[in-house]
Amino acid sequence: MAIDFNTAAIAAMALWAAGAILGIFSVKNAGLKLPGIILSLVGSAIIAGYIALYWNFLGRPPLRTLGETRLWYAALIPIVGFIVEFRWKIGWLKYYCMSLASFFLIINLIHPEVFDKTLMPALQSPWFVPHVVVYLVGYVFLAAASTAASHNVYLELRSKNNDAGVTVAHYLSMLGFVFLTFGLIFGALWAKEAWGHYWTWDPKETWAFLSWLAYLAYLHANSYKIDRSKLQWYLALSFIVLLVCWFGVNYLPSSQNSVHTYTKG
Amino acid sequence: MADVSRPWFKEPWKFKESIVVSAATVLAGFIIQFAAGGHGIPQPHLPVNAIALAVFAAAVIGTGIALKSNPLVKWLGSIPLGLCLILAVAILSLIGGVVPQDTAPAGSLAAGFGFNRIFSSWPFALTVLFFLLNLGLGLSWKLVPFKMQNLQFILFHAGFWIALGCGIFGSTDLQRLVVPIDEGKASNVGLTMESEEPHQLPFSIFLHDFSLEEYTPNVLLFDPATEEQTNFEARKGATATWKGNNAELVDFLPSALPTEDGSLKPADPSAGVPFAKVRITSDGHSEESWVGITNPARKPEPVKIGRLFVLLWPGNPKSFRSAVTVQDDKGHTVMANLEVNKPVDFNGWKLYQMGYDEKAGRQSKLSLIEVIHDPWLPAVYTGFFMIMAANVLFFWNGIKRSKVS
Repeated sequence: MAIDFNTAAIAAMALWAAGAILGIFSVKNAGLKLPGIILSLVGSAIIAGYIALYWNFLGRPPLRTLGETRLWYAALIPIVGFIVEFRWKIGWLKYYCMSLASFFLIINLIHPEVFDKTLMPALQSPWFVPHVVVYLVGYVFLAAASTAASHNVYLELRSKNNDAGVTVAHYLSMLGFVFLTFGLIFGALWAKEAWGHYWTWDPKETWAFLSWLAYLAYLHANSYKIDRSKLQWYLALSFIVLLVCWFGVNYLPSSQNSVHTYTKG
Repeated sequence: MADVSRPWFKEPWKFKESIVVSAATVLAGFIIQFAAGGHGIPQPHLPVNAIALAVFAAAVIGTGIALKSNPLVKWLGSIPLGLCLILAVAILSLIGGVVPQDTAPAGSLAAGFGFNRIFSSWPFALTVLFFLLNLGLGLSWKLVPFKMQNLQFILFHAGFWIALGCGIFGSTDLQRLVVPIDEGKASNVGLTMESEEPHQLPFSIFLHDFSLEEYTPNVLLFDPATEEQTNFEARKGATATWKGNNAELVDFLPSALPTEDGSLKPADPSAGVPFAKVRITSDGHSEESWVGITNPARKPEPVKIGRLFVLLWPGNPKSFRSAVTVQDDKGHTVMANLEVNKPVDFNGWKLYQMGYDEKAGRQSKLSLIEVIHDPWLPAVYTGFFMIMAANVLFFWNGIKRSKVS
């Protein structure tokens, strides 16, 4: 490997921090805005480059263990923040996104992965990459939706008007839900090929279904015109169900029979 | 939720009534479950379940269209009821997502209420049925009169209805059997997973050969003084430096057998085991030895080299496959290689490579083949593809068209 993980992670976090500081100061000095964005983007590019090298090193896509998926979140979540700023001129989301990405990198720094290049036969499938990638993208959108909703709750408590923030949280959760739906169905189609049945109420499947229901409920509550400021609480907390599905399932009593517990770490 | 001032059960019904009725449904389900002594719902097979589902679907859609303005029907198809039922399904699924399924002893309280078989329990069945009613009514109002702008809604909701309805109603017709076969033998008997009850199959499977490929094993170094360990991949020429020791893999035989005089002889992969010759150099002093696994239990055997214990840790299975011939009474014959993730179709059945004798590893002469028959699969997949088509439409229509407020 040309660069090791610690170097890449620390460099990326330093660049994000520098980009964030320049971004905050750009309120008073507009000339700092562009350098701030460039530094943040280079931070994400370093993680993306590391993933590419790591992929090449492993000889398989680094999408198997939780530690590996955290790398992707770290690369992609800030990108969502940058896109939101570019598209809707909302700047604050990227700070939350870069903090969340740093949090994922720190977990990986504290728990370095045991290198294991092997891929069990059930995972050797053309479905592997699309299934995990659509879930990744969905989780990234929903993580961003949750941070946006938390920010909305904070503004609401301070009685600030924040319609744009509520709209962003809604768009992000809608996009996230669509990807979650694709992930769920791709998973079912793959399960039919690998394990013989498309749905067996495996704990991971059950929790994926639960997270899907949580966002299904949000979208219907929203379409029923339930007070949207109250829904921000719900949207912020829904991500907890996703987190349980993502790395909590391995610790539940029901996981003893799960086919998904290869994702240790 | 702004109907606080409205008296209970005064039309139009909204959240209050929805919460009460949904909770009552779940409660009634648990009571029936308990009264039935932990037995799940009755499970009709084809064609009874298909007729029942078709009648139910027709009744729901017909009622929705005919009684569109009836206040009770309006409530039954409303979003507040839908939300409460989603919550009820979520709570029941939560039980299934936390309580281990199929493990509670019969007679326990958890088994009595069906907690350990929640997805075939009365409360789950009643709630899902109620939910299908709610979803079907909501769908009927968008179906008639048909408008192109409702297509995304119709595909998503109808797809979900079909996938859920057919998945639940059709689960009784799913046949999953395991066929254990030894190399050079044929079998036409499948065993159920739970009770190993034998079932005659409408075809026979002949196993020509079972073969297994493993990943490269790892060399594991263990320091008995500190109980620390490290490992590196067992490839010829591989080296590792650890705690002042230089380890080198001098020679590697992927498949060999020990002869009577103690030397090693290369062997066929289905009979031999891997051996590695490891040299440890520490403080200018070198020692080397062969390391391998020769015992029938396939447990790694530590060899002391220098002051370290060295083990050859077997590689994980990379792939395993069965060369089979499948044949029915009419002489229809298919030859195939079964592999994980590569099932083979035969007369409406799907054949899967499931497992092997794990103790024997790559020497296994036994292959476990799973055979599955699911006549409802095309219907469920139709639902899946309708949902995905709705998702594609979502992108096609663009996010701007989906209203926020």
